[in-house]
Amino acid sequence: MEILEPDLGMDPVVQSDLGPLKPIRRWAVRLTVLGGLLVLVALWMVFFYAPTEREMGIIQRIYYIHVPTAWLGELAIGILALCSLGYLWLRDDRLDAIAVSSAELALLFLTATLTAGPLWARVAWGAWWVWDARLSFTLILWFINIGYFMLRGAAENPEQGKRFASILALVAAADVPLIHMSVYWFRTQHPKPVVMNPEGPTAAPEIVQTLLFSTLAFTVLFAGLLLYRYGFERLKRHLDLLRARAGYDGGSMEGAVRR
Amino acid sequence: MEKWFGGHPAVQKIDFSLSPGEFLTIFGPNGAGKTTLLRLLAGSLRPTRGEVLLSGAPLDYDETAWRRRIGVLSHRTFLYGHFSAVENLRLYGRLYGVDAVSERIEAGLRQVGLWERRDDRVGTYSRGMQQRLALARTLLHDPEIVLLDEPYTGLDPHAAAMLRGVLDHLRDGRRAVVLVTHNLSQGLELADRVVVQVAGRWVSDEPRSSIDPVAFERVYTERVGGLA
Amino acid sequence: MLDFVRQAGIIAGKDLLLELRSRGRIASMLVFAALVAVVFAFALDPTEPVRDVAGAMLWVTVVLAALLGLGRAYVVDREEDALTGLLLTPVNRGALFIGKVVANLVLLLITELIIFPVYGLFFQLPLWDPLPTLALVVVLASVGVVAVGTLFGAMTISTRLGETLLPVLLLPLVIPVVIYAASATQRLLVGRPTAEVLGSLKMLLAFDIVFLVVCTLAYPSVVEE
Repeated sequence: MEILEPDLGMDPVVQSDLGPLKPIRRWAVRLTVLGGLLVLVALWMVFFYAPTEREMGIIQRIYYIHVPTAWLGELAIGILALCSLGYLWLRDDRLDAIAVSSAELALLFLTATLTAGPLWARVAWGAWWVWDARLSFTLILWFINIGYFMLRGAAENPEQGKRFASILALVAAADVPLIHMSVYWFRTQHPKPVVMNPEGPTAAPEIVQTLLFSTLAFTVLFAGLLLYRYGFERLKRHLDLLRARAGYDGGSMEGAVRR
Repeated sequence: MEKWFGGHPAVQKIDFSLSPGEFLTIFGPNGAGKTTLLRLLAGSLRPTRGEVLLSGAPLDYDETAWRRRIGVLSHRTFLYGHFSAVENLRLYGRLYGVDAVSERIEAGLRQVGLWERRDDRVGTYSRGMQQRLALARTLLHDPEIVLLDEPYTGLDPHAAAMLRGVLDHLRDGRRAVVLVTHNLSQGLELADRVVVQVAGRWVSDEPRSSIDPVAFERVYTERVGGLA
Repeated sequence: MLDFVRQAGIIAGKDLLLELRSRGRIASMLVFAALVAVVFAFALDPTEPVRDVAGAMLWVTVVLAALLGLGRAYVVDREEDALTGLLLTPVNRGALFIGKVVANLVLLLITELIIFPVYGLFFQLPLWDPLPTLALVVVLASVGVVAVGTLFGAMTISTRLGETLLPVLLLPLVIPVVIYAASATQRLLVGRPTAEVLGSLKMLLAFDIVFLVVCTLAYPSVVEE
């Protein structure tokens, strides 16, 4: 009996090329730092540049954070859906890595939106939660996001986890327009108590500028965080593969790396 | 072809062909990837690299007509306990598009000795009887390629002898049979070609005629038996 | 195309016949739904007009009962790994899915056929007058829930959390169905004309079409590796 040497051509460890990670890391750092600085500037603008809203006072300033987080939460979900479709189609592991990174950021931003929302609602409409269309929609997205992670975690093996979670993202993406329509329609059937117009009779230019700048700042920060998380995810997967290789051989990590 | 599960190579660079009329037996310890290999051959799994060719053409996983040519017997029976033997076979017969289904069901059940119990629910069958019915199911659609994954598991001597008889029948010159088993004597009995698979690789591939059962058993137990 | 329908029919027939033999799922669904109605009866203040929330009660009950049935849809197929056996045959994977959907739909419709009159009885609901439109609402909404539920039922049952994960995944996705179905039902029960629920009916139909297509296309990726 002769022992044949394995050909490592399709070895996922070899395939998991870490080359591109260096520039990704660099950009991640740059964007995050830039984003962080921009956010600080935005915060300054929020507190010192934008005028205090007549009717709502200080709390109204949460609007400048709330709107960007809502937008970014939805963007992150969009990226998740797109990359999940890509993963199912091309089975490229990197797309799944982007997807899961985006899903995590989505959870962060959606939670932030759902936290700021009630604060705003309390002041604007007198109640902590009034089934405002936007918030309701965000709430449903948040639950889908949670479901994504629960499904991934409950899978029997990582490959199944990626596959199932991607399908969930895909179905959710198809559902989003319908959820949106139904929730907004639901809202029109049940008008909320309109106490005041939160933006005032005209939106002063400072308000619009602050809002736009804040959105830009947070978006840059988001991009940086996404790249950061993606780089980390790639590294983690590479390590898992090496570990699996070492375990299989009954050998050491060193040997796995060398091969 | 190769098959990787995450970082783990279940099947490493196995490359072979099987001709009609050939009876191949694969021995190997647990975890050698024998079941994975069978699943690749059956078209249940796609190889990470390489391909499976059927009559020279690669398997088209989106189109399914070629599945009619393959029969698989696993240690799970693929049967529904609430259905009778006949109902189970009729279901598979219809899905495989078998002609003259009722006649073939009767012939199959008689061959495995279950005709008397044909209307009883499979849930009431003993393990050996279920395995026999599974065998009938495997051959119902007259497949050219028969893949058997440890079919002797859980069979009493009577059923095992019957299985051997059926397998012998399969060596009719036009079918290819792959048998995966732990049992050396049963595996060697009917084989034309004997392979030993360890850790995803074929470490030995010999025609049956060049094997001396006693020596083979000794070497196998020594080198491989400890790995099981 | 015809083959597809024929194969779906074989699968649906198989599932329904198996259910007839074991009766496990339909019994749980019916008993559960009836008990939910009883719980509602005791939980609600009898002096308040129940008619205002009847639409909501009905659809919450239906969705919960559906979850029960859909979660266990693959148990018999996994006992002796029969699903693998089916996948080894030339059966069209889409037909396999649709067959399953049809069988699950029949079970859900049977449950609804019993449960709506029970609610009508418990809470004096005028079900008879709007019956044709109401039936249409029920059928359209059920198709949507079952289409998505059959896909996710297949996924969840092969995970470590099993069918307990199904509500978490399914409920957010079928909220549009609940919104339109409950609203339409509510209107019909208070005697509004059919014309007012046409919009909801159209949305339910849209949901059904979108998800029958999407889930049929996604199904092969769930059951095969």
